[in-house]
Amino acid sequence: MSKKVDNIIIVETSDIIYEGIFSILTNTGQPYKIHLADNLRELEQLNIRTKADLVFINPVLIQNQLKDFHSLKKELNDTRWIGIVYTYFDQQLLSIFDEIIYINDTPDKIITSVQKFFSEQNPGNQNQQQKTLSEREIDVLKLLVSGNANKEIADKLNISTHTVISHRKKISQKTGIKSVSGLTIYAVVNSIISINDYRE
Amino acid sequence: MFIVSEMKISDVIIENPYLILMLEHLGINLEVHDKTIEQICNESNISTELFLTIANLFNGFKPLPITEYTSNDIQTIIKYLKNSHQYYMEEKYPQIQDYFEKINKINDHAEIIMIGKFFDKYFLEVTEHLDYENDVVFPYVLDLNNLLTHKNSDKAVSSYSVTEYKKHHDDIEEKLTDLNNLLIKYLPQKNDQQIRRKLLFCLFELEYDLKIHSQIEETILIPLVEKMEHLAKKRK
Repeated sequence: MSKKVDNIIIVETSDIIYEGIFSILTNTGQPYKIHLADNLRELEQLNIRTKADLVFINPVLIQNQLKDFHSLKKELNDTRWIGIVYTYFDQQLLSIFDEIIYINDTPDKIITSVQKFFSEQNPGNQNQQQKTLSEREIDVLKLLVSGNANKEIADKLNISTHTVISHRKKISQKTGIKSVSGLTIYAVVNSIISINDYRE
Repeated sequence: MFIVSEMKISDVIIENPYLILMLEHLGINLEVHDKTIEQICNESNISTELFLTIANLFNGFKPLPITEYTSNDIQTIIKYLKNSHQYYMEEKYPQIQDYFEKINKINDHAEIIMIGKFFDKYFLEVTEHLDYENDVVFPYVLDLNNLLTHKNSDKAVSSYSVTEYKKHHDDIEEKLTDLNNLLIKYLPQKNDQQIRRKLLFCLFELEYDLKIHSQIEETILIPLVEKMEHLAKKRK
């Protein structure tokens, strides 16, 4: 059910080019989420940028802001960058990008360069889907919702407080619930503790 | 869409209707005709820079810090925050409470009763937090503002500092997310789909507004007040 949607940002001033890339990507039928930014500064302000898997960017827009671009690239270290090239650029500038597309490339070639990145990532996506709690996590959860502090849980299970904290992080990631009172309800609903154990 | 001052306010609202709520918090009436943002701001005595910062927060952009302290901006921000408190307390939370009661009538699972209690407790925490802002933080900011604008003001400003506020500023949003997840993923359902949907829509609306609310406090108000504290110290 939870099919991964890939976020793509296109940083380009020409509407024709933007619409062109947009329709080439949408025609693939893949559930890409495509966003537009007009320039580097706007990209820096897009909240979605931190979730961007791929950014198409016209090298013209970074030419005089290389410093800003490098710091952005550092911030978004999981993001892949594709240069949209339609005039001559110095090879050194182009070497910043992970991939280059040229304005006269066929749609197939452009799609191939996009899909290349996403197929690289796919194996990792699959095992992240495991949402059930491990036995150890259930032990931690039981003690947590019956009112024990991290230190007490650590003592009872004979593990370090640090390990307890990392279990708790995993539990919250898998369930989507962070607060102890919320987790208590989760534990009751999933019969991890009985409703009779629940006290306010 | 990144909002700029020449845009017609009606276009911007049609693109993101949540901005209606922003206007309401700022005390700007609808029936905006074909006015641009700049015109509306001038008429309402709100700085365009501040308006754009908040509006773009609503549109998902990260705010540009307001660099310059002005008394007017501070008054606008406090007004916005106070109005949104009123919206939570008098409109949103009673609405949510009402939905919970309705669900309880149809669905008597023990877990549903638990989540009702979860909400009640959460609501108490929220009330405490909003009261604290209304009673301590906002008056302090306004006093400080007064001190900086009226040269001869001899009204003593409490020795409070915004650093304390930073500490106190705990996350109301976290439990709201928990609530959504419990209602969507885990809680047993029994003929309550429609009310549950209404409840969830209501919670999403609240979540959206609260998120912007705390962004305004953390990224706009607190840095400005730090500037004001610095200015006030220099004057002594």
